[in-house]
Amino acid sequence: MKKVLLIVLVVSMFLISFAETLVIKGSNTVFPVSQLWIEELQKVYPEMTMTLEGAGSSTGIAGLFNGTADIGNSSRYLKSSEIQKMLEDGKYIIPIVFGYDGIAVIVHKDLGIDNISSADLKRIYAGEISTWNQLNPNLPRQRIVVYSRNTASGTYETFSEKIMNKDRMAASVRMVESTQAEINAIATNRYAIGYAGVGYVTQDVKVLTVDGVYPTKTDILGGIYPISRPLFFFIEATNQFPSSGPIKKYIDFGLSKRGQELVEQAGYVAAYGF
Amino acid sequence: MNKQEIIDKINKVVITVIASVGIFALIGLFYFIIKEALPALINDGAGIFTSFDWYPTDYNNPEFGILAMLIGSVLITFLASIIVIPIGYMVAFFMFDYANKYEKNILKSTIDLLSGVPSVIIGSFLLFHVSPLFLKLGAWSGENILIGAFGLGILSLPYTASLMQEAMNAVDKNLKEGALALGSTRFTAGFKVVSKAALPGILNAGILTINRIIGETMVVLMVAGGAALIPRSFFDPVRPLTAAIAGEMGEVEMGSMHYHALFLAGLTLLLISFVLTLISKKMSRRWSH
Repeated sequence: MKKVLLIVLVVSMFLISFAETLVIKGSNTVFPVSQLWIEELQKVYPEMTMTLEGAGSSTGIAGLFNGTADIGNSSRYLKSSEIQKMLEDGKYIIPIVFGYDGIAVIVHKDLGIDNISSADLKRIYAGEISTWNQLNPNLPRQRIVVYSRNTASGTYETFSEKIMNKDRMAASVRMVESTQAEINAIATNRYAIGYAGVGYVTQDVKVLTVDGVYPTKTDILGGIYPISRPLFFFIEATNQFPSSGPIKKYIDFGLSKRGQELVEQAGYVAAYGF
Repeated sequence: MNKQEIIDKINKVVITVIASVGIFALIGLFYFIIKEALPALINDGAGIFTSFDWYPTDYNNPEFGILAMLIGSVLITFLASIIVIPIGYMVAFFMFDYANKYEKNILKSTIDLLSGVPSVIIGSFLLFHVSPLFLKLGAWSGENILIGAFGLGILSLPYTASLMQEAMNAVDKNLKEGALALGSTRFTAGFKVVSKAALPGILNAGILTINRIIGETMVVLMVAGGAALIPRSFFDPVRPLTAAIAGEMGEVEMGSMHYHALFLAGLTLLLISFVLTLISKKMSRRWSH
């Protein structure tokens, strides 16, 4: 009896491994979109096994390089070291844009400003301005509590690129591990400022206009809002662009009308069909 | 050799091998961490330990100075220790002498329960319920070194109290009875006589507490503030080394200098912990004589 069970177990494991699987890893900014997509895909293709992980953009791209992922979600483009690795490994990793994310600058609801210039924003994060009244004499003479995501985050990298011009943030900037924690902190601290992906912003905080531009869909898509970034998923296309199989099904769905609707539902701006 | 002896020998070998797995794991761990930390040490060892600037992702000029974070770790450990060691001592003292059977039961159960609470739950509790209180008190940052020290204290209190109580219970009962017979008060007998006799054990408990606190990651990740500066007030945030390692290790590029620097930070903590453990072992050896 035990031998029979063992054989059944081995055979079924064999069969399962031949079922279509799709491993998606990468950015936690892109995570909610992938989640909505695979929920719908699972209904259409019930025999597909899909796994999703959100441990950061770098993990997704690394997964493509070492073959542990089929799709690498990313909120940032490839780094030059990764492009170098592409050449060294003889792999061709390509991005597919599916949406745009605006990074909103948020403050407490009661703070008396509505706009900030990108230059002032940089000065605050670089530590050159430390109290609110140095920014605007009408504001209270209180220390600015500056929040940022930690360096592992794609949101941090975009902010660092677009606003800081890759210069260093001051040591007094509070590095937080998650966007939700940042929003909670800013909603409760009257003198705090921070930034978060537009999709995460709730009614508890106030969104500032940057250089007079509010992070609306049209302004993000058109590139008018200064802190916005495209969202990608990367695939490995060394031999050919996927013409069949689970990866193709994922791409086709993601870029379809329904997939783009889900991008909007997740709080981002759809790249196509606008 | 008969069958019994053969089975006995086999059992002995199996048990020895399995027990050695622990030793090999420890040696393997040390080897792995030292191996991964070495490139950072060779590249800029002096710079890493003397610079206050931790900017590992700076495109133009990355710096891996862990000094500010190391000082943050040491200071928050120090603050948490001076909070929890006296309180642990008082709890142990109370359980040793003053508590009746009923009170002892309740206190012991509560402390055992507290020791089972996951550190992330304690961190979440502090983050959502205690940190707003700090803001009301006028702190500019709700997550700071003080609230971090409280969290570490709550976490290590069961450990401290039970170790100290053990130390005091291990003292010969005759010593306490003799002091009482000579006319001293209960407090003097416990405080001046028994505690003095149990001093090596109590100090040992203190050192083990410090060892426990300095390695704690989750609580400080959530409520210590995450800003790598040297605190000038109790309301300043700090970024302990453990929090920095936990936060950045997930996303670091394997083999990059950032990766090696994080391992060097880990090695530093490992060495501190190793030294503390050695001191504790020496002390308990002296005590058991």
